[in-house]
Amino acid sequence: MKNSTSATQRGFSLVVVAIAALALVGCAPAAPEPVTPTATDVWIKAVPELMDGMAMTGVFMTLENPTEADIELVGAKNTTEGLTETAMEIHEVVKGDDGEMKMQMVEGGIVIPAKESVTLKPGGYHVMYWDLLKPIPVGSHVTLTLEFSNGTTLDVDAVARDISTYAG
Amino acid sequence: MTHTPAEAQAETEVTRRGFLASAGVVSSYVAAGVAGFAGGAVTASAVSASSLCTQSQLRAQEQAATIPFFGDYQAGIMTPLQAYGTYMAFNLKSSTGIDQARSMMQLLTDDAARLAVGKPTLPDGDPYLATEPARLTSTFGFGPGFFSKLGLAGKMPVGFGELPAFSIDKLQPEYSGGDLVIHVGADNPLTVAHAARQLTRTANTFATPLWSQTGFNRPQYGEPTDQTGRNLFGQVDGTVNPRSAQEFDAQVWASSGPRWFHDGTCLVIRRIQMDFAGWDKLDDTKKEASMGRRLSNGAPLTGTSEFDKPDLEAKNAHGLSVIPAFAHVRRANTGKDTEKFLRRPLNYEDGLLPSGEPNAGLIFAAYMADIQKQFVPVQQRLADLDLLNTWITPIGSAVFALPPGARRGGYIGEGLLG
Ligand code: HEM
Ligand SMILES: [Cu+2]
Repeated sequence: MKNSTSATQRGFSLVVVAIAALALVGCAPAAPEPVTPTATDVWIKAVPELMDGMAMTGVFMTLENPTEADIELVGAKNTTEGLTETAMEIHEVVKGDDGEMKMQMVEGGIVIPAKESVTLKPGGYHVMYWDLLKPIPVGSHVTLTLEFSNGTTLDVDAVARDISTYAG
Repeated sequence: MTHTPAEAQAETEVTRRGFLASAGVVSSYVAAGVAGFAGGAVTASAVSASSLCTQSQLRAQEQAATIPFFGDYQAGIMTPLQAYGTYMAFNLKSSTGIDQARSMMQLLTDDAARLAVGKPTLPDGDPYLATEPARLTSTFGFGPGFFSKLGLAGKMPVGFGELPAFSIDKLQPEYSGGDLVIHVGADNPLTVAHAARQLTRTANTFATPLWSQTGFNRPQYGEPTDQTGRNLFGQVDGTVNPRSAQEFDAQVWASSGPRWFHDGTCLVIRRIQMDFAGWDKLDDTKKEASMGRRLSNGAPLTGTSEFDKPDLEAKNAHGLSVIPAFAHVRRANTGKDTEKFLRRPLNYEDGLLPSGEPNAGLIFAAYMADIQKQFVPVQQRLADLDLLNTWITPIGSAVFALPPGARRGGYIGEGLLG
């Protein structure tokens, strides 16, 4: 995973806090650098073949927020060449008025509570790809950039996996 | 946690504390496993742990115990036998070339590494089934077709290839062959079933399932004895086996041939049907004569305890060999250090045969560096003469080359496919 936020990044942000504290002791109060959440176990539901009108899929992962304040996942941009031209969306799956499950945009983004984590998984939160222009075979990799409410971004690499244990 | 009733929560708390208190015991148990007591001399340490905590805490530890996935060798070979296991074979799809095979092994490695520590696979739809690893191991190997289909025939290990036909064989295609083998073992049958299904999903993208064989053994712990387990004929089975690291180096791990195969090994699987109608007619003396060992404790007929060395020269009052000429241990023992290997079998019991007899026997699994040199001469001698053949019939046969272990960040088979 080409995820720039890791243990080192977290160590780095500690340093930032320390410097900020020093600055306070001095005089000019510096705004603390916003912290990027971490993403682990990033995967995408494979699309072995493009089917008419069904060329879409979801990205799943666990997001962790090491800070004292909630952060939201508000958007994502595809960085895989030639995969899609349509904007990506942050989705949830809910029961509609007709009792059918449907997916919709998450109002205000997916909340990663302070000092906690949230897992995006099939049947729940996901990052949505629309209008795929090429298949995503099992085992291939897709890259995208996640966008958070505090202005930070995170490049992630998603490995394509099958969901059904019976699919041939 | 917040939804747990107060009593239940108190109980989990206690269990967790018991857990931490005896964590040292668990790890020494696992360490004993890694040292290679393949026959199972690990009971003592597990049992002494019971003085430190209650039975239920001990059981929780057993379910939480893990075997490291990454290392020089693949897990599941030196690992003391788990109570349950499944061997699954697949044939590569025609669309699977070397790039897809590499992808498959990378994904299988990722799945297996997660499952080994009690974590679900990435696309796991039943993640709660992953939480009791119970010494789960997943082991991978390549059949002759893997090499030929991927244009890797030149990289086959020395002495690896199909077995010759043996006169005793009644092989059925539904239990024979395969380009890829996945072997899953654990002390919890749900854990085995779950891991097998997770790994099958990954393999199914690149290969077609061919056969699956599931079996069992006596659990290793909870019994205050270091006697080896038994097979369905009631015999103590697994006495003569490599146990020390030196014996594994000499018999199991490859050290010559193609570089990618160093620290790998070969696997021979023979599905052997047992004839219980015939076996049940024998008295103990006849049963013991066919083996050359006692039923009570597995001691040779010339000794008193299991690990006594059989005296093949010993004669009785009538001048006849105490261990008869046709006895399984005499025939299987060639007296040559170059013809030894690890036997790590599972018993199977899969419902009934059309006759109403149990469909049961032994999933004989043997591991050795060189099939041709170490295994074939022994199997040939047993095919030529072994009284046990009267009641056993090989009905399945397959051979695989198992790569060495993987380092974190690498994958099983990297040396061959990388
Ligand atoms: C259902 C089939 C079989 C049964 C029930 C069986 C049972 C046994 C038993 C009870 C022993 C004595 C205890 C021990 O050392 O483990 C033994 C030993 C042995 N068996 Fe088998 N066996 C079977 C098939 C095979 C096959 C197919 C092979 C190899 C081709 C084999 C090779 C050996 C060897 C090498 C030994 C150790 C001999 C020695 O050095 O003392 N067995 N077997
Ligand atoms: Cu969606």
